[in-house]
Amino acid sequence: MLSKSQARWFFIGGTVFFSAIFIFLTIDTLREIPARQNSDQMTASVVRGKMIWDESNCMGCHTILGEGAYYAPELTKVVDRRGAAWIAIFLKDPQAMFPGKRRMVQYDFDEGQIQDVIAFLDWIGKIDTNGFPPEPDLAPATLVSLRAEQAAVAPPQYFSTVCIACHSVADNGGTVGPALDGVGNRMTSAELDRWLSDPQAVKPGTAMPNLGLAEPTRAELVAWLAGLK
Amino acid sequence: MKFRSQRVAYLFFATSMLLFLLQIVFGFIMGFAHMGFDVLHDYIPFNAARTSHLNLLVVWLLCGFMGAAYYIVPEEADRELYSEKLAVVQWAALVIVAVTALIGFQFGWWEGRKFLEIPRPLDYLVVIDVLLFIFNVGMTAWNGKRFTTTSIVLLLGLTAAALLYLPGMITFDSQVIDSYFRWWVVHLWVEGVWELIMGAIMAFLLIKLTGIDREVIEKWLYVIVGFTFLSGILGTGHHYYYIGTPEYWLWIGGIFSALEPLAFLGMALYAVTMARRGGMNHPNRVALFWTVGCGVMSFVGAGFLGFAHTLPQVNLWTHGTIITAMHGHMAFWGAYVMVVLAMITYALPQMTGRKLFDGWMPEWAFWICNIGMLGMTGAFAVAGIAQVYMERKIGMDFLAVQEAVEVHFGGVVLAACLLTVGVLMFVFNFIQYGLPNDEAVAGS
Ligand code: HEC
Ligand code: HEC
Ligand code: HEM
Ligand code: HEM
Ligand SMILES: [Fe+2]
Repeated sequence: MLSKSQARWFFIGGTVFFSAIFIFLTIDTLREIPARQNSDQMTASVVRGKMIWDESNCMGCHTILGEGAYYAPELTKVVDRRGAAWIAIFLKDPQAMFPGKRRMVQYDFDEGQIQDVIAFLDWIGKIDTNGFPPEPDLAPATLVSLRAEQAAVAPPQYFSTVCIACHSVADNGGTVGPALDGVGNRMTSAELDRWLSDPQAVKPGTAMPNLGLAEPTRAELVAWLAGLK
Repeated sequence: MKFRSQRVAYLFFATSMLLFLLQIVFGFIMGFAHMGFDVLHDYIPFNAARTSHLNLLVVWLLCGFMGAAYYIVPEEADRELYSEKLAVVQWAALVIVAVTALIGFQFGWWEGRKFLEIPRPLDYLVVIDVLLFIFNVGMTAWNGKRFTTTSIVLLLGLTAAALLYLPGMITFDSQVIDSYFRWWVVHLWVEGVWELIMGAIMAFLLIKLTGIDREVIEKWLYVIVGFTFLSGILGTGHHYYYIGTPEYWLWIGGIFSALEPLAFLGMALYAVTMARRGGMNHPNRVALFWTVGCGVMSFVGAGFLGFAHTLPQVNLWTHGTIITAMHGHMAFWGAYVMVVLAMITYALPQMTGRKLFDGWMPEWAFWICNIGMLGMTGAFAVAGIAQVYMERKIGMDFLAVQEAVEVHFGGVVLAACLLTVGVLMFVFNFIQYGLPNDEAVAGS
């Protein structure tokens, strides 16, 4: 039977041996990380973004690289998913984008800070993470195929940077709001214009945000949407 | 108790109880937020509640470990504590740091790094405080009549825990490297050196409660902690799958972390066999319940539920979901909460000379707490599986999925109410014991 001193040596020997391997692997890992994380793209803005991220404790609600809290969306690929323009609008007033939904803290970031946060999130999204987060493998086929494809009619830029995060056209875009194919049949230009200037006034309690669109942007959107038949 | 100075442990245990109750309050705030009742958002946003919940947990467990060490080391070394006064100063300092941190969190004074949110200036105070503590128990053991294996493993665990706090205090510009070294603290604590502390406390309790020969118990203690390090050090790799670290961690982390449950299986078998061999003759039966329960539940929470999501093929889908929260609750509960409660249940009658372990309440507290925690784990599991399926497999929108699982958080909160009833009973019993007194000295 094993004696106590043999047991002690098993403990000491195992610990020393595996600690040594661990240190060795750590050194190798630190050597490989720069290429995997694109250290050359870590601008001063990215580093400032990380500081804002830490100071605001965004990780207390969100996960990033799969680490953090499970109360708010995983943000590793958020720039791919929503686009920088959308995030910039969102961060100014998170509640306005998802009215009545689970709430994020309203930070009073200035324009520069918002750009830093986005630069940080964009850099995170390009890290080689061995395939995390995975592509949904049971998704309806259209959902996947279409992500790569472009909509048939070239939409206004505001649509393809902001609205598309929530709405799809020709199967391309987000699923927060309804697909807008054929919206020109359902709504007249006047209705569209009223809707876009203030969704709450048309349908109190709706989840569609008031994006505070400037007059010319709105007109361009209405014209394009009305043509979706 | 054998020595008068062991009574200082009481301060630490009482503090633990108080902070534990506070931790649960923050747990409820989050539970309700997940159910859609985020009513305190403007005062205590989710991230403040979460940071408080986690740090209170860590601080009260450390506080319990310190109390345990102040009780165990003098008894094992067969002498009074090196300095009781120093222990009181060290306790007061710890309380001040903890309260400052807790208040600071509510005003956004933190570092947003999960589990390591305590701001840097307070980190330094924590380190000084822990050094004082280690000096005090270390001197006691060093100058004692004997230096037992139980003391050695306990002190080794405590010292290593203090050293491993340091990598968490370095600042990095890169999220990847930051995260890499964050795990040196979080993982190497709970799946490494804290297991030494847990093993040593369990060994002490088993020696006292079962009357089995110290040599036998301590031999197995070495074997178990041997397995801990054999698997747990490279097992850190299960956190290095998807954070930007090299691909070889997928198989290294997978293989070694899959071996980690062995150490917990060891703890469970060890507690159960020793208890059966020694017979359940000790009058403080409920202390043995907590001790054996700790062995078993740590295997369920850490061993079994840890294994459930540790292989890279599974973790790819479950990484950073409610599944992780399910495992985190049961593992912390089974291993560390229960070992501290076991120690308190054993030590209180010894310190106060009152034998209040016989009534129905202590045993009911044990069962109710455990059933409550199992219920919470079950509800988290259902929510987690639903989340993985809808969000990760089908690709549904995050918020839509969260609305779908709100109902399961109703389950979490219900089970948490049961747990809370058990904890309140435990605390009530704790208060009934009253303060340590001199008549209890050498009365054991
Ligand atoms: C109190 C919790 C909380 C904190 C703290 C928080 N968020 Fe959020 N965040 C949310 C919630 C909830 C959502 C989901 C959308 C909503 O309801 O507003 C969200 C959504 C987002 C989104 C859009 C994600 C998507 O896929 O639609 C981004 C980007 C974001 N947060 C960035 C941040 C950043 C950056 C910080 C730190 C400066 C932060 N969040 C801090 C709760 C939080
Ligand atoms: C945060 C997500 C979000 C964004 C961004 C968003 N929408 Fe919406 N939108 C919605 C939701 C949700 C609805 C459904 C509202 C309802 O029925 O209450 C909606 C409804 C609509 C409708 C009515 C569709 C119908 O068939 O009834 C139109 C038109 C529309 N949105 C256009 C836009 C345009 C144009 C933009 C960009 C300027 C935009 N939306 C940006 C979420 C969003
Ligand atoms: C008592 C011991 C343990 C405790 C207290 C514990 C606790 C935790 C906690 C709190 C987390 C979340 C950490 C974070 O995201 O910051 C976690 C993650 C994890 N644990 Fe454990 N654990 C223990 C043992 C184990 C064991 C033995 C295994 C494997 C067999 C394991 C496997 C995992 C895995 C794979 C993750 C990562 C989950 C993810 O990807 O999101 N754990 N653990
Ligand atoms: C009794 C009431 C409790 C409730 C309602 C509760 C609820 C919660 C909730 C909702 C979260 C956050 C999950 C998220 O990020 O979305 C959480 C995190 C956590 N809680 Fe609790 N909790 C309770 C008690 C406890 C206890 C007793 C322990 C210790 C055993 C504990 C340990 C943890 C840990 C370790 C985490 C982090 C998990 C992770 O990040 O994976 N909680 N809790
Ligand atoms: Fe781990």
